Amino acid sequence: MSGMHLSKEFFELLKAIGESKSKQEEDRIIQREIATLKKKMEAKVSKVAIGGGAPPQNQLNANKKKAKEFLVRLLYVEMLGHDGSFGYIKAVELAASSSIIHKRTGYLLCSACLAPSHEFRFMLVNQMQRDISSSSILEICASLIAVTSIITGDMVPAMQSLVVKMLDHSSEIVRKKAIIAMHRFHQLAPEAVERQELIDKLRKVLCDRDPGVMGSSLNVIESMAAVDPKPFKELVASLISILKQVIEHRLPTDFEYHRVPAPWIQMKIVRILAILGKNDSNASNGMYEILGETMKKADVGINAGYAVVYECVRTITSIYPNSTLLDAAADAISRFIQSKSQNLKYFGVTGLAAIVESHPQYAAAHQMSVIECLEDRDETLQRRTLDLLYKMTNPVNVQFIIEKLLDFLRGTTDSFLKEDLTAKVCSLAERYAPNNLWYVETITELFAISGEFVSQEVSQQLMTLIAEGAGEDEDDDADTILRQHSVTIYADLLEKPIAKLPQLLIETMAWVLGEYAYLSADFTLEEILSKLCELVRKGKQLKESTRKFIVTAIMKLVAQAGTCPPQAAKIIDDFSKSKDQDLQQRCIEFQNLITSAPHILAEVLPIDASCEDVQVDPNLTFMDAYVSHAIANGAKQYDKPDDDDDEADYELASSTKASAFKMTPYAKPTKPGASYNSSSMGGVGS
Amino acid sequence: MISFILMVNKQGQTRCSKYYQWLPMEERVALESEIIRKCLSRSELQCSFLEYRGYKTIYRRYASLFFIIGTKPDIDAAQVGGENKENELGLLEFIHNLVETMDKWAGSICELDIMYQLEEVHFILDEMVMNGYIVETCKGATLKAIDLLERESRKGEAMFK
Repeated sequence: MSGMHLSKEFFELLKAIGESKSKQEEDRIIQREIATLKKKMEAKVSKVAIGGGAPPQNQLNANKKKAKEFLVRLLYVEMLGHDGSFGYIKAVELAASSSIIHKRTGYLLCSACLAPSHEFRFMLVNQMQRDISSSSILEICASLIAVTSIITGDMVPAMQSLVVKMLDHSSEIVRKKAIIAMHRFHQLAPEAVERQELIDKLRKVLCDRDPGVMGSSLNVIESMAAVDPKPFKELVASLISILKQVIEHRLPTDFEYHRVPAPWIQMKIVRILAILGKNDSNASNGMYEILGETMKKADVGINAGYAVVYECVRTITSIYPNSTLLDAAADAISRFIQSKSQNLKYFGVTGLAAIVESHPQYAAAHQMSVIECLEDRDETLQRRTLDLLYKMTNPVNVQFIIEKLLDFLRGTTDSFLKEDLTAKVCSLAERYAPNNLWYVETITELFAISGEFVSQEVSQQLMTLIAEGAGEDEDDDADTILRQHSVTIYADLLEKPIAKLPQLLIETMAWVLGEYAYLSADFTLEEILSKLCELVRKGKQLKESTRKFIVTAIMKLVAQAGTCPPQAAKIIDDFSKSKDQDLQQRCIEFQNLITSAPHILAEVLPIDASCEDVQVDPNLTFMDAYVSHAIANGAKQYDKPDDDDDEADYELASSTKASAFKMTPYAKPTKPGASYNSSSMGGVGS
Repeated sequence: MISFILMVNKQGQTRCSKYYQWLPMEERVALESEIIRKCLSRSELQCSFLEYRGYKTIYRRYASLFFIIGTKPDIDAAQVGGENKENELGLLEFIHNLVETMDKWAGSICELDIMYQLEEVHFILDEMVMNGYIVETCKGATLKAIDLLERESRKGEAMFK
């Protein structure tokens, strides 16, 4: 079936696209196509009845076949990265067609091209409602497929009850799609389609007489059980029974894939069992037999079989442990990891990662293979092995493993990987650090490599560690050594070009040097101080928070040194005019301190007291002498506003104001009569 | 869940793309070109899986055409911190199943067939994958549905003659 059914134009288009040699050429072809399609939308059929009659019809409306081809060409335009929104309206129109292929094409384009916020999606709701209520199975299916990708949360109520009815439709092709559509509704609008409602329906669909429908429902069950397995525990027996039938080849032959019976259904059920058996010895007990059976039967030497075996391995490692099964799983992993096929090696590594968390003893035998995988040129395999290493870490191998992780971090530019590895290094360093110094060195190294991915918490923790030391025993010497080393590490960093250093690293460095520069064996306080001044002077791209760290460090060092060198004074002067209020305030306060009270500088910025509480005397007793002196000289005593006064004032006010309100009711109105002088009335009238 | 299915040729031209999680056009274009570049840079001896920007990706090459499936953690599970549980080998075989299905439908499938009947390829995919889940793997069932569709449309066209 070649392109004979296509119009000459379309055929030429495809030929041109197929033969184009560069992206630019392809872009030109598509631009021409867009122009052509736009003209088609406006082109009118040439015959017009003389003397009036019907207005000329748009060419596309007149010929459905042309309309459908128009849409497919529009799909090409969008698939190749160009905007085809001028034609979307035609897709909406075609979805209303009575010809099923045209309808499907219209819906297809809408699903593929309309953004979730596009208003045309709403325009389709009516059409989808009509189609799902049709007597034609094909139209119902068209609607179900469309609704799953086109619908948004607010449209769910309009379609909900119609789709629910389809769960009981006589055709299995419909039921299979209806359950997925319902699940989609639940994902988009959990208030409209509630969990319990969907779960009740799922129980029925799982036991549908058509295995295809059952297979479809497994997806929904897996998805929902992952969120909350409890309501699905009662399904374990049914699932096991279904799996048994599948592996015994009792499904129709169409389900066989290269003689493995329904491998994807097997995989799904095994995955669901993993969720339901986790931490549940009762549920797990019932599964052991079938899992063993499934694993054995799937081992037929082809990929589809291995995929099932692997799924069983994963499940065996997540449910309540059974030693026979674990041995079988370990055996399978061994075979995978030693296989010549890279794909199977990959599974070996992932399988090992799954088993090693809960049962580390199985990992020992494969150390050589793991190292080989780590050094394989296949990047995917390397990454999987890193994952495995992360799970295999213990106090003995932590240094080796972190070295490897840092190596990888240095070599990659993939930001997802960087983020992932950084988190892993932080977590491992925290859990397994052999000593504080190693932790400080490792985390500092991490800051240098990928500081932008490290959380603020980690740097806070590091600073606390350096300030407080181990905390267990009051070993001042060890603490000092730690600080000395930290200072050496960070002072060295001062030599590096700052453009290369992540902000978090600079902040930590500034803090450490500000607190403990006096411990440095290589530099004098003044040298470090002047280097910091250089740093902040040259650092135009530094973040505000980083600048503050450096300036504060400079201030601390000035306090420790006792004198303020001119560079430092200039820097503080410059920043006292900073737009950042916090920085400005600090600088101005510091300047005031230096000029008027330099002797208390050491108290305001004490050495090594970052973790001590600031003692505050809320009564400000140190001011008492000043106050009594001032009062003696005639100053007025402070009249503290009394809270009680407020209420008293209010009563006072209300009592004085009471006279303004007449609390007595008005006198009742009296009937006119005797009080009126009849003569006066008469006087008016006559 | 399956986030996208792509059919891209060696020159990086997309022949068919289906997304089950919405991506704006510029992101799609960038993703498609980057992924095919990565696939092309890998040798035959390396495994058929790769990781790209958080997508666990499975690819398989048939002559000049790459079939690529990108997966992400299931949306429901992701909300509770779940990982991507997709079985890579299972999806690799699913690609093969898809190709076998298209082969049966077209009587020996090739890149041109996909180009000339793009919408039909989408319809086949629609039968097999919905909302990023595999719902049908039996060739017979899939092709029966497509056959129904084609017969109905031929009837319709006859009417228009």
